[in-house]
Amino acid sequence: MKAGATVITSYLTFKLGDEMFGANVAKVLNILEMTKITKVPKAPNYMKGVINLRGSVLPLIDTRIKFDLGETVYTTNTCILVLDIDLNGEAVHVGALVDSVQEVLEIEEAHIQPPPSIGSKYRSEFIEGMAKINDEFIMLLNMDMIFNTAELSLLRESSGEIEVGEEKE
Amino acid sequence: MAKTILIVDDSESIREVVSFTLEHEGYTVLIGIDGKDALRFLDGTKIDLIITDLHMPNMDGIELIKEVRALPDYQRIPILFLTTESQAAKKMEAKEAGATGWIIKPFVPAKLIEAINKVLR
Amino acid sequence: MMDNFKRKFIEEATEHIQDIEQALLELEQNPSDKPLIERVFRAMHSLKGSGAMFGFEKISEFTHNLETVYDLVRNEEMVITSDLLNLTLASVDHLSALLKEDADLSEALMQQHSRLMKQIDEFVLADSSKKNAAVELTKPNIESEADQKTYYILFQPNEDIMSNGTNPLFLLDELYSLGECLSIPITKKIPSLDEFDPNKCYTTWEIFLSTKSDINSITDVFIFVEDDCELRVNLVCDYNLLSTPLFVEKIEDVRNKQQEIGLSQVQDFVANMVSPEVKQLQKSKDEKSIQGLKDQTISSIRVASDKLDQLMNLVSELVTTQARLSLYAETDGRPELLNIAENVQKLSRQLRDNAFSIVLIPIENMLTRFQRLVRDLSKELKKDVVFEAEGTDTELDKTIIENLTDPLMHILRNSLDHGIETPQVRIEKGKPAQGKILLKAFYSGANVIIQIFDDGSGIDTNFIRTKAIQKGLISHETPLTKKEILDLIFIPGFSTAANVTDVSGRGVGMDVVKRKIADIRGEVEVESEINIGTTLTIKLPLTLSIIDGLLVKIEEVYYVIPLSVIDKIYAIEHTKLMKAFNNTIVLDGEQIPFFYLRNEFGLSENNTTHEQIIVVRYEDKRVGLALDNVIGEYQAVLKPLGKHYKKQEIISGATILGDGTIALVMDTNKAIKQFAYKTLITEDSK
Repeated sequence: MKAGATVITSYLTFKLGDEMFGANVAKVLNILEMTKITKVPKAPNYMKGVINLRGSVLPLIDTRIKFDLGETVYTTNTCILVLDIDLNGEAVHVGALVDSVQEVLEIEEAHIQPPPSIGSKYRSEFIEGMAKINDEFIMLLNMDMIFNTAELSLLRESSGEIEVGEEKE
Repeated sequence: MAKTILIVDDSESIREVVSFTLEHEGYTVLIGIDGKDALRFLDGTKIDLIITDLHMPNMDGIELIKEVRALPDYQRIPILFLTTESQAAKKMEAKEAGATGWIIKPFVPAKLIEAINKVLR
Repeated sequence: MMDNFKRKFIEEATEHIQDIEQALLELEQNPSDKPLIERVFRAMHSLKGSGAMFGFEKISEFTHNLETVYDLVRNEEMVITSDLLNLTLASVDHLSALLKEDADLSEALMQQHSRLMKQIDEFVLADSSKKNAAVELTKPNIESEADQKTYYILFQPNEDIMSNGTNPLFLLDELYSLGECLSIPITKKIPSLDEFDPNKCYTTWEIFLSTKSDINSITDVFIFVEDDCELRVNLVCDYNLLSTPLFVEKIEDVRNKQQEIGLSQVQDFVANMVSPEVKQLQKSKDEKSIQGLKDQTISSIRVASDKLDQLMNLVSELVTTQARLSLYAETDGRPELLNIAENVQKLSRQLRDNAFSIVLIPIENMLTRFQRLVRDLSKELKKDVVFEAEGTDTELDKTIIENLTDPLMHILRNSLDHGIETPQVRIEKGKPAQGKILLKAFYSGANVIIQIFDDGSGIDTNFIRTKAIQKGLISHETPLTKKEILDLIFIPGFSTAANVTDVSGRGVGMDVVKRKIADIRGEVEVESEINIGTTLTIKLPLTLSIIDGLLVKIEEVYYVIPLSVIDKIYAIEHTKLMKAFNNTIVLDGEQIPFFYLRNEFGLSENNTTHEQIIVVRYEDKRVGLALDNVIGEYQAVLKPLGKHYKKQEIISGATILGDGTIALVMDTNKAIKQFAYKTLITEDSK
């Protein structure tokens, strides 16, 4: 622990179902309201389609499906996070569907715990850490890994039924 | 009133060097990329000197010189042509077509100015 | 600043060199084609003239004699032989090398330089029976020792001297600037006023010039008017005569009396002081006039690539905005607005076509290098190979073409080295002795496909497999499909050449090719049959592109099908579609296989009476695609789907419609291939 230096990182918190997650704001370019989604046929089920972002075509991922929480059911709170993902050194934009967006929290490094190694539903590579804010645990996510183009399953292998298809890009 | 010089050459690098040098000396420079292109300036515009290459597509230097001399406004305009040493016979042809003089390639900018001064003041 | 000019010259020189090479290859087939010879001559001439100016003296020196040779050829004093062609081609390579090495010329390069120059000289010397064009020497402008000498100059301009813009007085001024000068104008030839023509020069001058400059400087002054005057320059004495008051007086006296003095008088005068030396100058005139041939090349200009990118971006945005305008006008309905929108559409289409023709370059520009490679290499390997190209007018971004050249050259080298067999072996196999390499280029969806076919020995999958196991890349038991085995050649370090020949390789393998193609966002695949041949297929994205397409709708989603693949559109009854047996339907009396896109895309059956079938060309067949609705023609500005959809083959891109909706651009070739594979219709593909 560096004397006197406290690292504070800002995280945007959002909800998928009942779970609270946090994404490093450096990765979030924009938050959009739900908009028209054009479905691209014959794509993996978590690829929801594409949307028009000011003249650019942005692929949209259903984050809930990635987290095995079932398909997103659209409500007035449903939002799209426009993410800036690092893909093998290249900056790629992708949209992520979330159930709702909460707020931006400034979390000190000291308050972040490593992800649980036992009993966690999700593989630890995708979770940067856990933070406890107001008695609630927030899972801080590694967006680059989660939204990578490789079709990796977020679930630990012990979960069984889910097909793990790992593709090399 | 700055003097105007029309440069005609199909080589972009030559055109650039020449126009740069001349503009530096205070001349106004017009540019043609070959004979045919150069003719469009000869519409009565005041031009004080024409410097032209000989070998160009679409209309070569010799033809351009002949065309220029055929225009009443430009019958007496000084015309210098660019030539390499081994083209002595071409020089003859150009002179017969009506050229005033020549500049030998390769030339350094100073030589260019020298040649121009021979025909312009 | 010089760097800028230098760079320009290098760009230009590169083009000239390419031009020469192209022309030479064509000359091989037509050795007496005048325009081609002219092209070579002009390019050499240009290189020679500009070379020295921008610091490339070696290039200038080198092309000097080449220019002479081709001058002789174009005057029909020399014939093009294959020796000359080979030498010139070798020279072209040397020029490219000189252009790159610039200042630091390596030992090897200098040796090559001398060697080639000697060979070229031999060609020139061999022509010694005929008189060559005289080489004019530039007169050096040396200042002799500090002694001032006096010269007598008789300058007698022809009457018409002023007709080419010469002003004799300017010439006198120049003489005056060389030193001390005295002149006597001789005006006796000037006619009376009524005969006087102001455009003519009737005056002659006798000039005495005392100068330190040498005699060449004096004649230089008159260099432009050599033929328009009588000029005599004589050295009168080795000191400044004009400093002798007696002499000056005499001259002024003659002048006032409007007489002339004449050389002999002056000489007498001087003889009474010192004995003069008279020098006579002789000018030789060359009488041969050479007829130049005119060449109808299209003048072109160079534009920086980022300017082109900007242009393309603006054009794309214009097309998109125009689509919105059209949509708005249609909804609005006012006739005048509709009219204007239509005009805007016409203009933007024209502008787009124009901009494209500027930015995109047809592939045929690359072909010279390939032809050269095939020619040189096949000779070296003692194989008989012909190189053909189809679809050479297919256009690609300039940067993509530049980055594609190396991988393609490598693929060609491979074909020549390992693929095509020697004529003997081929005949034994029952093939024609001459091998063929075919380069084919065409559009597919939002991509350009470039294929290289060779009819050589093909790739032996067993050999590959064994090699791979040896190298530990795969295990014994791993079952691999033929495609998977062939794909092994793209793995780094996998070189199957038993001995790495100079030609295809110092270990540079197909993995580098794959990487280079991936760098321009392309993909490469290989197919092969033993003893039949090998095919390499490269798929490249059309990055900035606007394609003419047909806008269609399936369920709620819009799709665009490129017009280039569409054969015909039919309206069809829904029931007929559903009842069709074996996915075939009869249209215009022909049996056409078709796919019901709703099915293929996992959508439910359409609840309607009528639908549409678009019949597209697929390989050499016609295939129908049944869908809900055809909206109409549409100019689609292509946008990439993004890396997340890289696997997606059926949809090769997207476009944004006037109202902001996204339409998906379909690659029908890929789509049909996928559909067919699933439904197991027999095809030739593996």
